Amino acid sequence: MRFQEMTMALDRFWADRGCVIAPPHDTEVGAGTFYPTTFLRALGPEPWRVAGIAPSRRPADGRYGQNPYRFQYYYQYQVVLKPSPSDVQDTYLASLYHLGIDPLAHDIRFVEDNWESPTLGAWGLGWEVWMDGMEITQFTYFQQIGGIDCAPVSVELTYGLERLAMYLQGVEHAFDVEVAPGVTLGDMRADFERQHCAYNFDHVDADLQRLLFDRFEAETQRLLGLDLVHPAYEFALRCSHAFNLLDARGVLSHTERQGFVQRVRRLTEACARAYLSARAAAAPAEVA
Amino acid sequence: MATLLFEIGTEELPSWFVRHADDAIVGIVSARLGGAGLAHGAIRRFSTPRRLAVLVDDLAAFSERRPDVRRGPAESAAFDANGRPTKAAIGFARASGVDPADLLVEETDKGRYVFARRELGGDPAAELLPPLLAGVIDDLPAPRKMRWGDGDVAFVRPLAWLVALLDDAVVPVRFAGIEAGRTSRGHRFLHEGPVELAHAGDYPDALDRASVSADRSERKASVIASAESAAATAGLLLERDHALEEEVTDLVESPSAILGSFDARFLDLPEAVLATVMIHHQRFFPTREQGGSLAASFVAVSNNRVSDDTVVRAGYEQVLRGRLDDARFFWDADRRATLAQHAWALAGIAFHKELGSMADKVARVAKATRRLAELLGVSKEEAAVLKQALPLFRADLATQMVYELPELEGTMGCAYARAEGLPEAVAIALEDGVLPRGPSGALAASRVGALLSIADRLDTVTGFFAIGRRPSGSADPFGVRRAALGALRTLTAQGWRVPLPKVLQAVASSYSAPVVEDDVLADVERYLWDRVAGLLAEEGIAPMVVRAAVHGSRSVIGAARRAHLLQGLVAVPGFSDLLTLHKRAANLAKQTGGAARVKPGLFRDPVEGPLHDALPEARRGVERLMAGVRKQLAPWDLGHGPGAELHGLDAAVAEVVRLKTPLDAFFEGVMVMVDDAEVRGNRLALLGEVADALSDLGALSYLEAPAEA
Repeated sequence: MRFQEMTMALDRFWADRGCVIAPPHDTEVGAGTFYPTTFLRALGPEPWRVAGIAPSRRPADGRYGQNPYRFQYYYQYQVVLKPSPSDVQDTYLASLYHLGIDPLAHDIRFVEDNWESPTLGAWGLGWEVWMDGMEITQFTYFQQIGGIDCAPVSVELTYGLERLAMYLQGVEHAFDVEVAPGVTLGDMRADFERQHCAYNFDHVDADLQRLLFDRFEAETQRLLGLDLVHPAYEFALRCSHAFNLLDARGVLSHTERQGFVQRVRRLTEACARAYLSARAAAAPAEVA
Repeated sequence: MATLLFEIGTEELPSWFVRHADDAIVGIVSARLGGAGLAHGAIRRFSTPRRLAVLVDDLAAFSERRPDVRRGPAESAAFDANGRPTKAAIGFARASGVDPADLLVEETDKGRYVFARRELGGDPAAELLPPLLAGVIDDLPAPRKMRWGDGDVAFVRPLAWLVALLDDAVVPVRFAGIEAGRTSRGHRFLHEGPVELAHAGDYPDALDRASVSADRSERKASVIASAESAAATAGLLLERDHALEEEVTDLVESPSAILGSFDARFLDLPEAVLATVMIHHQRFFPTREQGGSLAASFVAVSNNRVSDDTVVRAGYEQVLRGRLDDARFFWDADRRATLAQHAWALAGIAFHKELGSMADKVARVAKATRRLAELLGVSKEEAAVLKQALPLFRADLATQMVYELPELEGTMGCAYARAEGLPEAVAIALEDGVLPRGPSGALAASRVGALLSIADRLDTVTGFFAIGRRPSGSADPFGVRRAALGALRTLTAQGWRVPLPKVLQAVASSYSAPVVEDDVLADVERYLWDRVAGLLAEEGIAPMVVRAAVHGSRSVIGAARRAHLLQGLVAVPGFSDLLTLHKRAANLAKQTGGAARVKPGLFRDPVEGPLHDALPEARRGVERLMAGVRKQLAPWDLGHGPGAELHGLDAAVAEVVRLKTPLDAFFEGVMVMVDDAEVRGNRLALLGEVADALSDLGALSYLEAPAEA
């Protein structure tokens, strides 16, 4: 199964189970959890189901495309189900079957994983799903998002698409994965990966990113003052990315790093609170 | 008599929780049944990643009958002038579950009171069980629980189903919106469809048929046996790893071992790296050749039993290859710089914002280690090793391998030192210096490594105390308690008879910012002695003996040895009599101002001379006891007990105990506090010598003679 057929199959599978298939968000994020369709929608009481491919950036994880598994830019497949259904594990296994992975022919395990995102003020409990020793999915029941208790609880499934595809196609490097006939992930991303690694590790202008961080932080706060939660949250995401670039560039001491984490967290938590109060203010109209 | 089955079905539990719950569940169920007055026979327990269950034999059909008597208000307040019950009496009767007319009046030593008497119990088990069993779920010990779905109930992972059967009848337990039934589930992949149970007693066989190995100890045995036989098919030995065996047991419901292999070119990586990648990251068992070296094969324990394991094995092998490739990359990259070069990078790694970087810490540790080495004395060879090791200590923190695999700290320092061709003793000291890794972890064997370990740990303890971050209760975010225990265990195991305050001064004097004030250091010392007391208590030493040993010692090993000696002595009958007299002597002797010398010329009573004459023998006895203890109790890992028991000290004990007779006669025969100041002073001085003669045994005033009349 080619890579794009996989994502289409997952879209079909989750659409059939009541999910909105949402296009990727267009601000840089470290993981699908940062998407507003996950982070903000996991707050509040309304039911919500969303799925879709979620390109993510983790500048420090780049290896110039040398390592078969680690990239600074990669694809997750993100599913959020709120409230978490009682048969979600079985549904997940059915999705693997839908991809052509027969759970009966493999060693599939749900191995404890305690997830925490200090920059999002978020934590949850769940599993890493292992297939024949390889982690293919993260499975998390959100307990807190933006410092706020989740009620109801959402479950987030994050498939590692490159790994699954490598497995399905029997190749040993993500860049050898065939996306469409005659086109591999390497064709699409190898140059991009190499150049961004060079940028992340050696050419990030640290002064510029520090300046941007400060300005984006101020902008987030200014926009929150105007009750513009969605634009504010995007600037908080930009802060997070500026911080990730500084981190990859290796210019942050341990203490300074902690300081940046705290600052991003204060912003995302403020956005979460603002989102909830905006929701509460809008609620009467929705009822009527 | 009936059989009760209660099964809690869950989504996959964390492996550590399965183990804890398996340990705890029988006690919890038995406490709940006991609390409800339900007699029962044996309780069998079952646990897997997806279920916790108990099977209770011979459960009584009804709870035991027992009388319940409650005292109410005084008779005068319970009845009005017409003998009718007052509001107070009616309220009391209602609260006690009896009719006001059935209240009794009885005479007590405080006057006449109203009583409610009734018989409790006799309730059918079927009625008592639903809330009782739901309570069992609440009682299971879990440090961190989660909520799921719409509910507000919390458990370790979401509950999936409940089975509760009393013989063949469903017990209607409700928990988290789930109704208990008779339907269990089998293995997630190896069994299709539900597992219907006609009778509670069918449970073990039904699960067996559904491919679930539910008895944890049987499953663990089968994990080990199948892994060993998989290794044996290639003529290899399984590398036993206790923690891995426990973990893997609780990752599978039906273990099945698969032997895989990796490229032999990875075998030139250090063994510790290979083992860490296999064990910690993949939960694979390493294997060894018959000759002893690590083999290029591993055993994975699968939760599935597939007809053709080619695909599964290839998967395991591919993932492991990726991990080993990573490790090889770090190994090669890290060796492009020397450890001395890596040490420069420690300046960029923070220890704590008020206590500086890791470079600052290592510099302090180096100073403290040199001072400790002077204090304790090291050989010329050891001094040379120390000189080479100090600038490289903890430099591996700056390597990529340790960044990615933090559990290899120290191990990599050692491996990189070897690869650089540094002397073996230096390499070993670098690893020893980070030991112990946990409360029961191995201690530094080399003296140089022990010095580093002690200095590093006490630097941590002292530093955090100095900035006001001492641990409180259960909160110890900086690992101060762990550091203290590691230092004390190492100090004791080395057998260094150096006063603890001197050790601490050596550490504190290497701090310049913050400066460690004397009161802080005194606080650190108290904290450490409290930990010593805790470790001795873990060795089974009685609390009063621990106090006597700790308060009567300056070095940690001294306290540890005294504790074991005194523990034996307090059981000797004559010794406890002597203690009583000794305490009296010590109390009186405190009244002498200075250390007056005893003048035999001032003896006025025939009992004074014999007491004076008996002192040298008692002193000799004490000396022989202390020498015997030092000889017989070789230094040990504090908290884990010395490997030897004291023996052959009876003669020395007798020499000490013989002091009892003249001391007894002295107290019987003379008045100490006589008017003649010279005679009085002389008698007090004599008692001072008595107190002093035994003082090397410990602070004996903390020991209470048990049978004091």
